[in-house]
Amino acid sequence: MKNLTSLEFVEFYSEKIKEDNTLFKQQKMLIESQMKSSSSFFLNKLGKKNFKENARKYLREMGLI
Amino acid sequence: MTKAYILDNNILIINRDLTQLDIFVRDFLKVLKKYSTYLLVSGYVSICTGRTRATEDIDLLVPLLDKTTFVTLFRELEKNLFWCYQTNNPEEAYKYLLKKINIRFARINEIFPNIEFIPVTKEKRLQFFELNHPQEIQIKGFHFKISPLEFEILYKEIVLGSEKDKADAKHLRVMFSDILKSEKFKEYEQLIRSEHQ
Repeated sequence: MKNLTSLEFVEFYSEKIKEDNTLFKQQKMLIESQMKSSSSFFLNKLGKKNFKENARKYLREMGLI
Repeated sequence: MTKAYILDNNILIINRDLTQLDIFVRDFLKVLKKYSTYLLVSGYVSICTGRTRATEDIDLLVPLLDKTTFVTLFRELEKNLFWCYQTNNPEEAYKYLLKKINIRFARINEIFPNIEFIPVTKEKRLQFFELNHPQEIQIKGFHFKISPLEFEILYKEIVLGSEKDKADAKHLRVMFSDILKSEKFKEYEQLIRSEHQ
């Protein structure tokens, strides 16, 4: 079986999802899992008490603001 | 099997449930729509139409608002539990916009996802064009505006060009092969190349 390149995989998956909307369930799971992980990670890292101040310090250090 | 989308009266209707990412965008737009027009562009266009990948930011074009309107919008976003990366002060945030610097908003106690709030004026010809040629889209009662699909594809292929952008463009080309229009590709390609030689 041929190994697909990432672009070929995108093409393959888009063709499938176009005809079968049940595949959106997988997409939803992936997106929400990423959001949940990100949210827990930063809340643990920065703390709830001074979240904004700590977040701005972190974002400055990362060069994002 | 049900198809992923239909085009009804030029509104793209995607047959799927809302994700938490859609709800984040919907809640932000619910406030913004009271004060301004807008256009969602870039990665979210591919993701909301089925591209399965992660994202941290949602790119949102907004015409440059007058100061009073922006300050009111900013305060209402705060009331609706969004915070601005750059500052708590709406007048200071407005100075960023005047300097054509994007600002970002996230939900309280979160960093990602965030809305990248991109001020658009007539001088930004391509963004101004997109903003005035929206594609309407609907997902489970969530009605919003994205860039024209052909424009989005070409912009990702010609201007942005990273692997991620090429993959997003490929997704849009395959997903919407039935409805993409060659005459629009021609028109938009001329426009984009005239700005990006």
